[in-house]
Amino acid sequence: MSATIQGPARLSPTDTVRVGASGLTSRPLRSTLSALGIAIGIAAVVSVLGISASSQAALIAQLDTLGTNLLQVQAGQNFGGATSSLPLTAEPMLSRVGPVTTVASVATVSAKAYRTSYVPVGVTNGIQVKAARLNLLDALAGTMAQGSFLTKATENYPVVVLGATTAVRLGFDTLIPNSVIDIGGKTYVVGGIMASMPLAPDIDRSALIGYPQAERDFAITGSPTTIYLRSTPDQVDAVSAVVPGTVNPANPNEVNVSLPSDALQARIATNDAFNSLFLGLGAVALLVGGVGIANVMVISVLERRSEIGLRRALGATRGNIRSQFLTEALLLAGAGGVAGVLLGAVITWIYSSTRSVQFVVPVTAVAGGIAVSLVLGAIAGLYPAVRAARLAPTEALRSV
Amino acid sequence: MSQVTVLTPQPIDRGDDPRDVMQLVNVRKIYPGPVEVLHGVDLTIKVGELVSIVGPSGSGKTTLLHLMGTLDQPTSGQVLINGIEVSSLSDRQLSAFRARTLGFVFQQFYLIDGVSAVDNVANGLLYSGVSLARRRELAVRALRRVGLGHRLGQPPAKLSGGERQRVAIARALMARPAIVLADEPTGSLDTQSGDGVLQLLRELNTDGTTVIVITHDPAVAEAMDRQVTIRDGLIVSDVVTGGVPR
Repeated sequence: MSATIQGPARLSPTDTVRVGASGLTSRPLRSTLSALGIAIGIAAVVSVLGISASSQAALIAQLDTLGTNLLQVQAGQNFGGATSSLPLTAEPMLSRVGPVTTVASVATVSAKAYRTSYVPVGVTNGIQVKAARLNLLDALAGTMAQGSFLTKATENYPVVVLGATTAVRLGFDTLIPNSVIDIGGKTYVVGGIMASMPLAPDIDRSALIGYPQAERDFAITGSPTTIYLRSTPDQVDAVSAVVPGTVNPANPNEVNVSLPSDALQARIATNDAFNSLFLGLGAVALLVGGVGIANVMVISVLERRSEIGLRRALGATRGNIRSQFLTEALLLAGAGGVAGVLLGAVITWIYSSTRSVQFVVPVTAVAGGIAVSLVLGAIAGLYPAVRAARLAPTEALRSV
Repeated sequence: MSQVTVLTPQPIDRGDDPRDVMQLVNVRKIYPGPVEVLHGVDLTIKVGELVSIVGPSGSGKTTLLHLMGTLDQPTSGQVLINGIEVSSLSDRQLSAFRARTLGFVFQQFYLIDGVSAVDNVANGLLYSGVSLARRRELAVRALRRVGLGHRLGQPPAKLSGGERQRVAIARALMARPAIVLADEPTGSLDTQSGDGVLQLLRELNTDGTTVIVITHDPAVAEAMDRQVTIRDGLIVSDVVTGGVPR
């Protein structure tokens, strides 16, 4: 009798997955627990990336509204090391520079602000009193929390506008009409409280009064301490280069020019550095999860020797057995990965909703998380799968 | 009336009789130790026979089943199934061969936990390239045939011992194999369930399948048409009785 022996039939992908999944569904608790290891690792990684992306998105959004075209000009030190001052002509000169759109300034007043005149002189709360131009709020893209900013009228009267931090330190939660504070022994009516200004934290800690009033009460010269100017966004660098020469043609080296938005950008970069620590912890969790899966799979192969023997008797090739256990490990890790991504997204969502920042989960974190868990599953499942495939059918059937 | 077959070593002449479905020629099996379990077994089984291989434990009958089931290879000698020498096939070819030609029934049933009776039976054709829908259809038919049409969706844990073995038989007959090898099929069952299982195997045989039952129980052996007795790795008697119900 002559007969040709055909090769084994291929197992369809659906059958491969079904066979792999049957091992998991018959031991649900164990499968869940071992997938949990991977899930925790992936959740840690995804939530770290998500939280950092969300807070970065918030910073970037903040940058966008505040603009990166704000320049801050301050007097530097002269050759002898003494603090220089900005000339009176600085502001009009700067406003003549073509791309400059807004120029505003403040001048520091030596007097201090107190809640009442009974507060000891030494308790200044770190609050500075400054004379401010009326367009300062516009230049800084700031907003008022309560009340109104200085106006053409109020700048001539003892009216003060408080920065966000100043208001807190002086005890103004809400602005009660006709509230007064004491500045240098004189009574000032609080006209408004500003919202926090991320681009000018100095202003948050200041009490602002009008230039004319400051000249009258505190005899300032009118020479500004700090000038804030806006230029057209694409000319920021060019403007920044000509500012020192324009402000102080005689001593351009005594002028400091800075870009406040640089500080915000630096904060974005700082977040990145902090993240790597948490990502490292997530990687360790993933590693432990992978070892857990390998461990469970090795035990599973030992326990299911008779099943392996039966499948070989039913006609499974070594390859079928290998792919069965590999599929099982992949499904386990993949399920863990998906659960981890969801958990990470939920954690990010909770973070972003409590901090009221934008909810962002980077696509790379989602795809990467699932890919990493699958790779981990493949590595963890490889050895147990090879071991299962190597088992001789008789040996597998002998064990009961 | 019984007829005694005289055992004479026959020359290897593969394919001389197409009715020889299983031929063992001077088969020896030595396990590492060394332990010689089979000392040169010659056995020929024809298409459609209902054979029992009976012997006490340690006599080598399970080894014989493994060799006949191509789950293991003899140390020396030849195993021919349907005229094909088993040792000439690769591991992959043997897998395909088992899938198409052989059906197994084990004492421990070896049903997969957490999988319904239908799907357990459908596994009988899992490695034969048959679609899932078709497998399930055939499985339902096979389960009806073994009298379990009402237990289709039950997992093994909810079935009695006799029912489990009937599921296992359904799985073995699913692929319509030429040969069904049963290793102590009644070993874990009470007499009544065991009789049902033997009856099923006999019905299977009536349909043309060659059935080989390995047992230590003389009563089970006697229920088969032909009894091959093995002791200490040698065939000591080979009797055709026509089968007497247990």
